[in-house]
Amino acid sequence: MIADRIIELGTLRSHGGQTAVEVRIPWYRALPGSCIAGATLSVDGVEAPADSLRWGMNGRTFSFDELVQETDEWWFPLDSATLTGELPLREEITEHEVRVELKVYIPYIITDHGVLHIEENDTKTMKVEQR
Amino acid sequence: MSTLGTPIQGVTLYSFTRASHARQYDLESLIRKVAAEGFGPGLELIGFSSLRGFPNRIEDRFIGEFRELVQEVDLVPTSLAVNVDTGLRRDRLMTQDEMVEYMRAQIEVAARLGFPIARVQISLTPDAMESLLPVAEKYGVTLALEVHADQHGAHERVLALRDRYEMLNSPLLGFTADWGATVTGFAPSLLEAYRRRGASEELLAAVVALWDGFYAEGPPITQKVHGERFGAFIGLAARYGRPELGIDFAINGTGLFGPASIDTWQEIMPFIRHVHGKFFGIDETGEEPSVPVRGLIAQLVESGYHGAISSEYEGWHWNNWQDPFEIIRGEHALQRAAAQDAGSSMITDSHSARELLHAHLAQPAHG
Repeated sequence: MIADRIIELGTLRSHGGQTAVEVRIPWYRALPGSCIAGATLSVDGVEAPADSLRWGMNGRTFSFDELVQETDEWWFPLDSATLTGELPLREEITEHEVRVELKVYIPYIITDHGVLHIEENDTKTMKVEQR
Repeated sequence: MSTLGTPIQGVTLYSFTRASHARQYDLESLIRKVAAEGFGPGLELIGFSSLRGFPNRIEDRFIGEFRELVQEVDLVPTSLAVNVDTGLRRDRLMTQDEMVEYMRAQIEVAARLGFPIARVQISLTPDAMESLLPVAEKYGVTLALEVHADQHGAHERVLALRDRYEMLNSPLLGFTADWGATVTGFAPSLLEAYRRRGASEELLAAVVALWDGFYAEGPPITQKVHGERFGAFIGLAARYGRPELGIDFAINGTGLFGPASIDTWQEIMPFIRHVHGKFFGIDETGEEPSVPVRGLIAQLVESGYHGAISSEYEGWHWNNWQDPFEIIRGEHALQRAAAQDAGSSMITDSHSARELLHAHLAQPAHG
């Protein structure tokens, strides 16, 4: 598990009320969209509404509802995905505290309670790169 | 056994997950590093970790470049680790037909890249392995099902597979023995990682005592016992006021550190086609404090094993303060010393490795 690398430093962007950060997989191997089960994005303690979240990978953008069906596009361990949400940033803050929570399924581990899922989170402080 | 075994030295790139995930090495530079360090001749990698587009978007040009690279640096491809992702979809598990096709695509890539073995996983039943035999035959790839904690060589699921293999009598069906099934202690480097996260010495001593108790009892004989042990680690963390560590204790304490005796490997020894030399760290005396590497090597030598051992360093999950390359160097030195003590040696030259691996894989278990 490599949770400390989920958020990539220096990737916070915000424009027109939409805020985005690049994220890395906290796992050793690629997973398809269908195994990326959920995320949250918070900046300075404010969480983006769940239905506003979008997941960008391999040049495509998905809602989390769309990811459920997605078994063709894979999140490769070396690639950054982009997590975007409706979240206006407070202008008076220069160093923002960014928090991302991720839930992923591990598709080869089937337990008595179903397919194993893991929940990881990361918090990092950074400036906005681009408004 | 009439002849002593000569296991082939090697490594899986999984050992360097933290370095590759940090983009310190791409696949080519990591393979070059492994060769330059003398960590071969055996080379194993995980398809879904190392190969972008695996398995359906692997182009012939990449295949050619990979084969040329491996030839240039004189490594010997041993096993491509493939995954049985039964739970890929959210609405249901894969059907048997879907699973066969899912595995076929991965096994085909193993063959194209020149790996004679595909490591498959425990969720495959005896029936599933039987249905994959024609795929193995089509591509000439040995399917070596990994026996990993919390299973072990004498587990009922493993014995059921062994019995089916006996019946099918094909050299293409076998096992990968993962040493994590036969561990003798909770890894000190993981205890150090918990210490760095503020766990008290009292809590760490209690974790060790709990695991030692399970070791004394032996591996869980039913899933129910496994679940109880999992829950015991969670309860312990809560009692010591650190509930957030509970799941981590439980996953590692039951899923990484399997408490079976090394004798359990004898149940499946003729079918062991590949070995994961799983370990978690090397101490200041050059020993692995929680995996009985010397005994495991002696067992393979005495059993006449001529296949490969991929050193598989799993301490990277928690150890971010030591160099994984140095740690692999340490386990390899330990393996070579152990083989020598057992009256044999590890194979470190690629020419002998190729010949031995070919002969090892060609023989039916009761050849």
